Amino acid sequence: MSTLLSRISPQTLRIVALLTVLLLVVLFFSTQIDGYLSGRMFNRITSSVAIMALVATGQTLVILTRNIDLSVGSIVGFAAFAAGLLVSRHPDLNPLLLVAYSALVGTALGAVNGFLVAYARVPSIIVTLATMAIFRSALVEYSGAQSITSQELPQWLVDFPNLQLFSIGSFDFRAGFAMALAVVVLVHIALNRLRPARRFYAVGSNPEAAEMAGVNVAGTVFAAFLLCGALAGLAGFMFLARFGNITVVAGLGFELKSVAAAVLGGVNIFGGSGTVIGAFIGAILVDLIEASLVRWHLVSEFWREAVLGALILLSVAMDAVVMRRLVRLRIGREAARKKTDKESSGEGPKLRAETAP
Amino acid sequence: MRKVVISLFAFLASTSFAVAADTGCDAFKWPVAREQALFPAAPAAQSGAALAVGQAVDFSLEAVDTVSFEVPPERAPAAGTFGATANVTVPPQGELQLSLSDEAWIDVVQDGKSTMIKIMTGIHQPTSGVLEIGGRPALVNGPQAARAAGLAAMYQEPMVFPDLDVAENIFISSTREGWLQNRGKLRRKARELIERIGMHVDVDRVASGLTLAEQQAVEIARSLSQDVRVLIMDEPTASLSAHEAAQLRAVAANLARQGVAVVYISHRLEEVFEIAHRVTVIRDGRHISTRPIAEVTSQSMIAEMVGRDVSNYFEKAPSHATSEVVLSVRDFGREGVFEDISFDLRRGEIMCMAGLIGARRTDVGLAIFGIAPATSGTMTYKGAPISVTKAAQAIDLGIAYVSEDRRKLGLAMSMSIRSNISLATLAQYLSPAGMLDRKRERETAEAYRKRLNIRTPDVELAVGLLSGGNQQKVMLAKWLNLRPDLLIFDEPTRGIDVGAKAEVHDLIREFVAKGGAALVISSDLPEVLALGDRILVMREGRQMAIVDNAGATQHGIIALATGQSGMRMAG
Repeated sequence: MSTLLSRISPQTLRIVALLTVLLLVVLFFSTQIDGYLSGRMFNRITSSVAIMALVATGQTLVILTRNIDLSVGSIVGFAAFAAGLLVSRHPDLNPLLLVAYSALVGTALGAVNGFLVAYARVPSIIVTLATMAIFRSALVEYSGAQSITSQELPQWLVDFPNLQLFSIGSFDFRAGFAMALAVVVLVHIALNRLRPARRFYAVGSNPEAAEMAGVNVAGTVFAAFLLCGALAGLAGFMFLARFGNITVVAGLGFELKSVAAAVLGGVNIFGGSGTVIGAFIGAILVDLIEASLVRWHLVSEFWREAVLGALILLSVAMDAVVMRRLVRLRIGREAARKKTDKESSGEGPKLRAETAP
Repeated sequence: MRKVVISLFAFLASTSFAVAADTGCDAFKWPVAREQALFPAAPAAQSGAALAVGQAVDFSLEAVDTVSFEVPPERAPAAGTFGATANVTVPPQGELQLSLSDEAWIDVVQDGKSTMIKIMTGIHQPTSGVLEIGGRPALVNGPQAARAAGLAAMYQEPMVFPDLDVAENIFISSTREGWLQNRGKLRRKARELIERIGMHVDVDRVASGLTLAEQQAVEIARSLSQDVRVLIMDEPTASLSAHEAAQLRAVAANLARQGVAVVYISHRLEEVFEIAHRVTVIRDGRHISTRPIAEVTSQSMIAEMVGRDVSNYFEKAPSHATSEVVLSVRDFGREGVFEDISFDLRRGEIMCMAGLIGARRTDVGLAIFGIAPATSGTMTYKGAPISVTKAAQAIDLGIAYVSEDRRKLGLAMSMSIRSNISLATLAQYLSPAGMLDRKRERETAEAYRKRLNIRTPDVELAVGLLSGGNQQKVMLAKWLNLRPDLLIFDEPTRGIDVGAKAEVHDLIREFVAKGGAALVISSDLPEVLALGDRILVMREGRQMAIVDNAGATQHGIIALATGQSGMRMAG
């Protein structure tokens, strides 16, 4: 077992652990809630994950570079409203153009964050705390405190998230979820296989070294915020399609949920390590628990948030313990290997005998 | 700690000109602006070099007189100069193999080396002079441009990415591979590079677990992956064991044979004589001399580095030891770490602890100071038995410990010099109202600045901005301010230049002459012989002998420390 543990990469191990936790949570609630393992529950969770997964993916990119984006919730709301406004005025708009428009709005807002963090060098927590409020107020101003309702939207848009691709029994796989999953997988592959993407990890892992190694640190951070904005914009489109009704509070609280999803998914809050797949599973966990707690009568609604918070603490603590053990295990093996190496090579004395001038 | 400093300044800098700093060609303007902001009323002249506002080039601001690089024209080397540093003239590609085929440059740099490296690697722009590459002035306006020009540096603390594996670390800034990365190819090429420098590192390992020597190998491989033509090594062996250091020097020599010009910065003279072809001495940010190694003796080099005659520098000064025992340790031990340590330390005496790395000398020091208390044995301090289990107890008793790790355990790098010096003695600075008396703190700091010759324009500056030697002095000031009876110095001169080393030695001698007792842990044998009235040699957690300075030789100590000697002497 210990040999196996030190062989698999920590990232893979983390994902296996996350899936195990996911399974345990599902099993637990299935004993507590009648009719839990139903298609209805599955559909409800997948359609909310479709939105949160995109936001969490963007958040992961930013956290990897040792930053944080607290404005994603406001970006989702803004993009959703902007897209809704556009499509209600031009109902014949090409669907792809609408998606692109939504992502573009998000990108523009992400560019504001990215510029202030990467080039003006203001810490990201300050910048995005400010833009979270500013974007939200801009939305109120822009919308004139009006809402968009599903009656104003074309039918294809309202139908899109529930568009059934295929189903196994009562478990439907819908277009919205499929699209989110596709984006997650694409970003995951890009992060692992595209060489420039490695810079996100490098910058978060050791910004100073990245600078010295000739990595464009500011450019990398800027790109992370840009992509995060684009993904939040995309999530805005999904939000619009799913709910149809867009008010000025659209996307409220997404920033903390996305951070929670990323951290649960094993993304290091200090940057440098983590996977998008992990954050995706984290997003599923967050949504799953939230949706399940609503139907679990043992916990009053006042305690729901607390249960979620406790779960985040527990998972991070577990993670720290497990990873520390793993590292110790590896160091032990390494030391044992070194020892045999040294004995065969005949290590010389380590004293600095200097020739006294 | 360094990160803290830099981000701090990045933040300060952000107010007025940070945008320009990252847009490339205008970058050279910003250090000037920042320096004006930082030193609005800096004194016009410091010892050695003049501090002229508008000359600053150093991001991390070593000592203030080193940020100035004003050089009188007659002192500047003939071609291709910037500031007062070495001439960086790299022949065109074709000639490279011939003219640099077996050339290694060794720069013995005292102050200002960080600035020099940063100019050469494009992090800063020279404020005067030019950097020439291939006989033509080159605009190296960023790390990427430096890499493209074939300039690379290996810093004192290796720049690795702890979360990435070795292969990814090596190719992180590579621009020649395509967009898609082929893991197999990457690994194979990484393995080739590591083999080329003659090291063994598993390329699949994550960098966070690598030893210092392995991290350096990764850095060298990284620069080789980009056809480095000039590799600057900044004190690469400062924290390596003798075996690893020899290995690294072999790597450097091998690189020079392969046609890479190596600028090897070191304070250790024996290294210089081992591998250098030429020696450049830079002192206080000024170019002093560049000579072929054959024309240099260690005497002449030290004299140039220190700036005065130091013929008696490594000679033992007369002892101040009295007969009054300050600390008496008997059968001292900590389970599984060290055992049976017994010695008496007298007022006015300097006792050195010598031994190999891993001889557990630091653990004995920490046990006396109460950080990791002993589990057996007794301590008698000024005639009374004591048991110390916390550092605060030791401090109350007048025992101080100067750590070997300035960055981690010694100083709060982002705090000012003033607040670092008063940190261990804050109670002395309370006003009747219970508030800190900054004025008195400042007076103390100013007094130590003069007494220890700490080179800074202002004691309100963050300690992290000083050079290593000056940081060491601040740390000493902090503990001297406690007015201790017993001071434990752990590697007090590691990684600092010869001039500062001599000053620290004088300071220790002055401390005992005034009635203190000093326990000096040092791996530097000439230092041990120059300082110690008596020398306690340890090996693998055991006391091998206590030797009188009069009868001690380097060979004798090495024999004891490595266990090759049968003799056991009683102190």
